[in-house]
Amino acid sequence: MQFTMYHHAFVVLGVIVLAFIGAKKFKLNTELTLFVSAVAALLAHLVTPMGVDARSALPFTEIIRHFVEGTFTYFDVCMTFLSATFFMTLYKEVGGIDYLVRVIVEKFYKKRIILLLLLMVIMMVPGAVTGSGATTVLTVGGLVGAVLATMGVKEERRVGLIFILAAMSAACPPINLWAMMAAAGANMPYTGFGVPLLLLTGTGALFATFYMTRGAKCDREVNDVVASLPQAPEGWTFLKAIVPFIVLLVAILGARVFPAYWPVIGMPMIFGFSTLGVLLVSPKKVNLLEVGMTTVSNLKELVGIMVVVGVLNQILTLTGARGLVSLGVVILPIWLLFAALWLILPVSEGVLQYAVAPLFGVPLIMLFNMLGYNPVIALSCWAVMWPCGDCLPPTAVVGKAAVMQMEYKGDYYKGFLKNVLVPVLFVLAVCTVVMIFNKPIGSFLGV
Amino acid sequence: MNKKMNLNTVKAIALVTVVFCMAVAGYLFREHRTFKETVVVSDYCTEVKKLSDYSTAIKPGSVNDCNVYIYDSGVEGGTFLLLGGSHPEEPVGPMAADLIAENLKVTQGRVFIITRANKSASTITRVGEAYPRFFNLDTNWGTKTWRFGQRHAAELDSWPDPEVYIHYPSGQNLANVDIRNINRNWPGKEDGLISERTAFAIMELIRNEGVDYTLDMHEAELEYSVENTMVAHEKGHDVASIVTMTLTAETFDVPISMEFSPKALRGLSHRDIGDHSDATSFLIEVAEPMLDRIRGITDEKLLMEGKDIFVIKAGEHGLLYAPIDENGWPIEKRVARHVATTTKLIETYSMMHPDQAIAIEGIPTYNQLLESLAPYYRDPNTVDSSLIYFD
Repeated sequence: MQFTMYHHAFVVLGVIVLAFIGAKKFKLNTELTLFVSAVAALLAHLVTPMGVDARSALPFTEIIRHFVEGTFTYFDVCMTFLSATFFMTLYKEVGGIDYLVRVIVEKFYKKRIILLLLLMVIMMVPGAVTGSGATTVLTVGGLVGAVLATMGVKEERRVGLIFILAAMSAACPPINLWAMMAAAGANMPYTGFGVPLLLLTGTGALFATFYMTRGAKCDREVNDVVASLPQAPEGWTFLKAIVPFIVLLVAILGARVFPAYWPVIGMPMIFGFSTLGVLLVSPKKVNLLEVGMTTVSNLKELVGIMVVVGVLNQILTLTGARGLVSLGVVILPIWLLFAALWLILPVSEGVLQYAVAPLFGVPLIMLFNMLGYNPVIALSCWAVMWPCGDCLPPTAVVGKAAVMQMEYKGDYYKGFLKNVLVPVLFVLAVCTVVMIFNKPIGSFLGV
Repeated sequence: MNKKMNLNTVKAIALVTVVFCMAVAGYLFREHRTFKETVVVSDYCTEVKKLSDYSTAIKPGSVNDCNVYIYDSGVEGGTFLLLGGSHPEEPVGPMAADLIAENLKVTQGRVFIITRANKSASTITRVGEAYPRFFNLDTNWGTKTWRFGQRHAAELDSWPDPEVYIHYPSGQNLANVDIRNINRNWPGKEDGLISERTAFAIMELIRNEGVDYTLDMHEAELEYSVENTMVAHEKGHDVASIVTMTLTAETFDVPISMEFSPKALRGLSHRDIGDHSDATSFLIEVAEPMLDRIRGITDEKLLMEGKDIFVIKAGEHGLLYAPIDENGWPIEKRVARHVATTTKLIETYSMMHPDQAIAIEGIPTYNQLLESLAPYYRDPNTVDSSLIYFD
């Protein structure tokens, strides 16, 4: 039997799985497990025949370069996580969250539906304008979670709702990074996505909000509830409390409204300015170094995973294993593809994060386009299904951020994941149905 | 005590390893970024300017201050601008532009050549894609080396990206990284980021030199529908249709099609150069299996030979827009197609616009290039140093 590149890529994938299992047996953490898998994959690549023809030499120095290069794959995302978390940790430390929670509870506690819709909108905005579910969790997740607690929503459901709303916010227009990246790779303009994305994410968010808060009652006296909340430091006013968020919104929306004149400063700097806003209005002094240490300490696992997943992605590409997986998806019979995408997309998101958009999105768009389907509707569906996988290992970026932000101490899988299962399946089912009927829905929506 | 010592030893080893890897990778990144490509211009090159000569949007000596090779016959005629290197992960652009610059003789009109339209993008590879840093061609005088890059200007020259890239002046929303993609930045922005400024400076060249038509050379993955084609602005539909029909009938084994530049997709050279200047804009694509996401092992061999059994398998399932077999899409064929298309475009444009005619000589034929590219790159060791330029 001739050893082809198929065999080679299968061996590499098999070694990754074995290394992953082996590293977990030795109780290594997720970051080290992924790193060991990447090293094992590379070793397998070097010692396994690569097919019929000889391949280009891969010097030792180039191997190092690939490892280091891979670590930069999610550099921007990590910078955003760090700056956003620093901003919100500081805001929490100076009592801003405590103050805002009290205000919301005082005004809306007795108007349950309005309160829930308000919380939903508050959750959707940060992700909609940044495209990042983690940003949503890290900016307003704690605030919304605290209000939900006053309504008597169980802890697991609170964390679950924060996650699913964050996932929907990331997919919500105007900014959906998955759709943008896949559209860019396929040379499609990012136009026409607004309505389908809004309908899909709005449906998912509404269902999740009311499903996860079912049974929760606002039957206590408002004064009792307020009295049970932590006290905010003296000196806060509503205007002061919203100044940091106004800075954030102005910096983000300014770039949308006046793109020709507004300087490009990036999300880390935007959160930097919001942090300055907190310092400006805060009535309480805090040790910034300690806040910084807390931020880094809380995020080191998340950032570590992102860095190592970048390395693994680079090695998968180098060895042909990524190509094999991608090829395996696009050559599936179309009926099987429809039946499997609801599973493939979230799982791949859990492994590769945003890198799945060019990896699967571009070949799938081209496939659907070739088969005469509506690529805008189809890509909109995938772009809502992908973030549902942000609670899945190995990265589980948004899920872990939600757990961290809500200081949830229960079991990640049996507590948190079990609770998000129904709304996630609901979103995946809606997207699958819309994907199946992409042509009539596309005609109806005029895209 | 022992456990603590062991942990400290592990930490020390990890630190030393990380520092070593950073030093090695840092050296390689620097080598890539500072590597100078050699272009030995033909004896008929009349002047070499810098892009900064046309606009203050590009600072003299900065990374995207590329060379502009000028071939002026001194005889009245048309003016043509050839762009290579818009996307440095598509190596045929700079290779074909370079080959033409090294062999061209213009006997009527003027030809301008840019081999590295977004040089910054050629100084770094794309993270996650496991690209090689360089690619090489063996010649009888030695090895000629080019930088391999990515679609977007390096983050060192343009960072951070906005959350969404809003194209100027149309206001169309595009993926945030495309603010560093010169072929999403046309017609450019004088005070924008580096790729926008570079596009603006090239537009200034086009406007100030009275360029009549432009050709931007690209490659595309076989899964992409705009493949083995010439995309033309509406001002050039007549020329493009004749060019593609003639090449398909007389020269190429795999047909070259012709497509209308869509008005809905902004920032592309075939659309916005034509819309924002008097020039007629064209863009050509050829198949490059290295760009397919379904490709197998990623290395220089795939880049140069264009053979990949995963891509062939996708073709068997009818998923590709270009044919591929065990012979692949070798670099000779890809370069030959772009050079032959350039030659045919000049010939056809001159025929249909006699007042803007350009006459050229010295460019090898399609069949000559299919045989070997090597003889058509000049040995920098045997020519007058005044003919040697670096980019």
